[in-house]
Amino acid sequence: MSTSVALGAPPPSALAGVRVVEYTEAASASFCARLLGDAGADVVKVEPPEGDRHRRYGPFPDGHPDPDWSGMFLYLNANKRGVGLELQALPQAHTDRSGEGRLERSGREAAFNELVATADILVVGGQSADIEQHGLRREALRHLNPGLIVAAITPFGLSGPSSAYVGDDLTAVAAGGLSFSTPGVPDGVQDPAREPPLTANTPLAELMTGLLGSAACVAALLARQFSGQGSEIDLSLQEGVAAVMPYELAHAAYHEAKTRQPPGFALMPNVYMPCKDGYVVIMAVLDGHWRRLMEAAGNPEWGDLEVFATGRQRGQNWDALEPLMLEWTMSHTGEEIARLAQERGVPCFPAYSVGQMMESPHVTERAFLQDFRSPDGRSFKLPGHPIRMSATPWRSFRPAPCLGQHTVEVFRDWLGWQESEAHALSKAFREQTGVKDDQSRCPEPGNTAEGER
Amino acid sequence: MNLSSLPLQGIRVADFGQVIAAPVTAQMLGWLGAEVILVETESRFTTRVWPPFADGEFGIDRSGGFNLVNNNKLSCSLDLRQPDAVELAQGIIRVSDVLVENYATGVMEHLGLGYDEVKKLRPDIVYMSLAAFGRSGPFKNLTGFHSVINLFSGLAAVTGDPGSHPRIMGGLIPDAFAGCYGVLAVLQALYHRSRTGEGQFVEVSMTEALTGMIPEAVMEYSLTGREQQRTGNRDGRRAPHNVFRCLGEEKWVAISVETDTQFRALAQASGNPGWADDPRFSTASDRLENQDALEALVQDWTAGLEVETVVTTLQAAGVPAAPVSDSAEVLADPHLLERRFVVPLEHPVAGTRPVTTLPWAADGRRADNLRPAPTFGQHNRWVLKELLQVPDEEYERLVSLGAVG
Repeated sequence: MSTSVALGAPPPSALAGVRVVEYTEAASASFCARLLGDAGADVVKVEPPEGDRHRRYGPFPDGHPDPDWSGMFLYLNANKRGVGLELQALPQAHTDRSGEGRLERSGREAAFNELVATADILVVGGQSADIEQHGLRREALRHLNPGLIVAAITPFGLSGPSSAYVGDDLTAVAAGGLSFSTPGVPDGVQDPAREPPLTANTPLAELMTGLLGSAACVAALLARQFSGQGSEIDLSLQEGVAAVMPYELAHAAYHEAKTRQPPGFALMPNVYMPCKDGYVVIMAVLDGHWRRLMEAAGNPEWGDLEVFATGRQRGQNWDALEPLMLEWTMSHTGEEIARLAQERGVPCFPAYSVGQMMESPHVTERAFLQDFRSPDGRSFKLPGHPIRMSATPWRSFRPAPCLGQHTVEVFRDWLGWQESEAHALSKAFREQTGVKDDQSRCPEPGNTAEGER
Repeated sequence: MNLSSLPLQGIRVADFGQVIAAPVTAQMLGWLGAEVILVETESRFTTRVWPPFADGEFGIDRSGGFNLVNNNKLSCSLDLRQPDAVELAQGIIRVSDVLVENYATGVMEHLGLGYDEVKKLRPDIVYMSLAAFGRSGPFKNLTGFHSVINLFSGLAAVTGDPGSHPRIMGGLIPDAFAGCYGVLAVLQALYHRSRTGEGQFVEVSMTEALTGMIPEAVMEYSLTGREQQRTGNRDGRRAPHNVFRCLGEEKWVAISVETDTQFRALAQASGNPGWADDPRFSTASDRLENQDALEALVQDWTAGLEVETVVTTLQAAGVPAAPVSDSAEVLADPHLLERRFVVPLEHPVAGTRPVTTLPWAADGRRADNLRPAPTFGQHNRWVLKELLQVPDEEYERLVSLGAVG
């Protein structure tokens, strides 16, 4: 459902007015906060002078590192404002209050506490020990703000026998069970003893868990409407992974754990097989689908053989059938096979490259990808938002911030600081980082395509 | 989290979910305190008739695939091919706050249960429609198995060994991952409704959810026209970063080293202090450049050890390491059991089985409202007679017509 928006009146956002402070270098927690920003929450990302690690990840528009134009950083941190604070001694529980309940502004830690005191949600992530040590548990922050929701995303969680374990995306995909089950049906390994379990070349666990974290935050906002109290969300990368593979776990719970070998399906063909220019999946276990698949293949004689008449027979005689099917698939491209099969209602699809996906009429028509332009005029794309809401549509409010870009406006607007105080804080940060007060190279809202659909 | 503080207390969900994705959404809403009514149709069974079955014996109440994604739900069995049954479904929707569905594109509309019809029954409903390719675009009608979503989205394209072909992720993750986006969307919509009274239509695309997992590959291609490399288990910034064989059949350990400190700790803990002085491994970029040699050394070390030994040794030294757990090991992980992410739950037909619960704790507590997946039509009487106030005689008539049951 596409929504066109009347000029002048922006549509409402689901989380308008919700304040979020993010303090993390973990992709999971950053993605969590980004999704809250996508829904219209006012998200402030607090960064140390060296900047978030993902500023160094890339890819970069011209191939050269530039902390404000790293693709991974832009993706994880869109729809946020950026504040720079050096928090050498991170916030402790004993900050004094002074004046009209206002926190003392003696130091940068107090500045952080003041942000947290006015926030609805604090999102943190990283190793569990660091979260404890830096006083980022809700218990340590509660006196600042009883309604505060603290979402902590860590490799193994804040409690339990392995909670102190250190970890990252790879260890989470492994300990959550996803690595062992990859490749998965109808793909599979030939030699389980030699071929290792696999992960993808992308931070799967971080993004999965970040998504769950954002859902947990909105759930906590709803709970707060009843209780008036904040809460602490404890979410682990390991559980984030295990949570998205219930079907695999069901097999183990029912004592039928899947093996990693190519599945010997009772009914065939349900296969992932090579073709002229790549690979295709073909699902034709139903006899009607099989007949139509054979029609797509030009009705070869072997398609009528009695030994392949039923799905079960095709399963039993797969060794004989496979080379015959391969002969057909290897003489056609994946696109050709898929078109011939799909025209006849047979489920079939080729392995797309990333480029094929991005240039497909489907992705283009749905305007899923988001356009960016770098200062030197290079255009590039990042994934858009997979949720489309009719009343509160996703919007690209702002691109990811430059380091410390919004320090002045956040302290002025959120906390009512004097302009001069806020400038002093911002200046002190810039002196530490060597960042010039030149925001002309920062990603600007005007640089991105219309985010509204 | 006790019942009085569950965020979705008082919320009712009409669940028209199929297979995994929307059922996962509805199950999570149930864990959060919503009353979920699963509207099921015998002619459209999916996971109920798929293996695995309890004790390997077929039965519609015995499927693990069904029972693990339908906990905490009520089942109302309606034959939606009959107009009387559709009317009952409309009655359920009228008293529901949320509807979730992931039928093939057009099915709900064909049943008279599309958003335009439903909002006449319940103007403030949150209607979550989840589809493989979304509800618009040239591919909106394609059958979207998890393998298809993997292959289209680009995720398979970045999964696999260098020089080899795209590989399909295990775990049916497109379904469950998109289902989690469904949860986020419904919760946001409910929050909006709580402040404005306004419901809405929400659409989630499984392929878009998965493409959202490969931002670097998308940006790289748009800039250079180059495809991101498949790298097996390797990483562009860390080495060693891989899984290594241990003692036993198909036993592997995952080890990931990012910093020089971690690498020195690995060298010490593995009894190979010399690695730390080896110029091939001095810095992260040295280790990346020489990772073939480095991985071979690490593999030699782990090959004679139990997985658990490697993990505890390295974790004691502060090096990220974890077992490559199979599904059974995940369900038996003492850490996950103590955190009550995995709990035993008794099902009236399938017996006591481990199930996973809401994947986060609130204030250190897990939901304590767990109920097993329903048997087929288990709550017909409650839903129809108590909730919808269908008179006894009419109820019996609907059962005899087969509209119910």
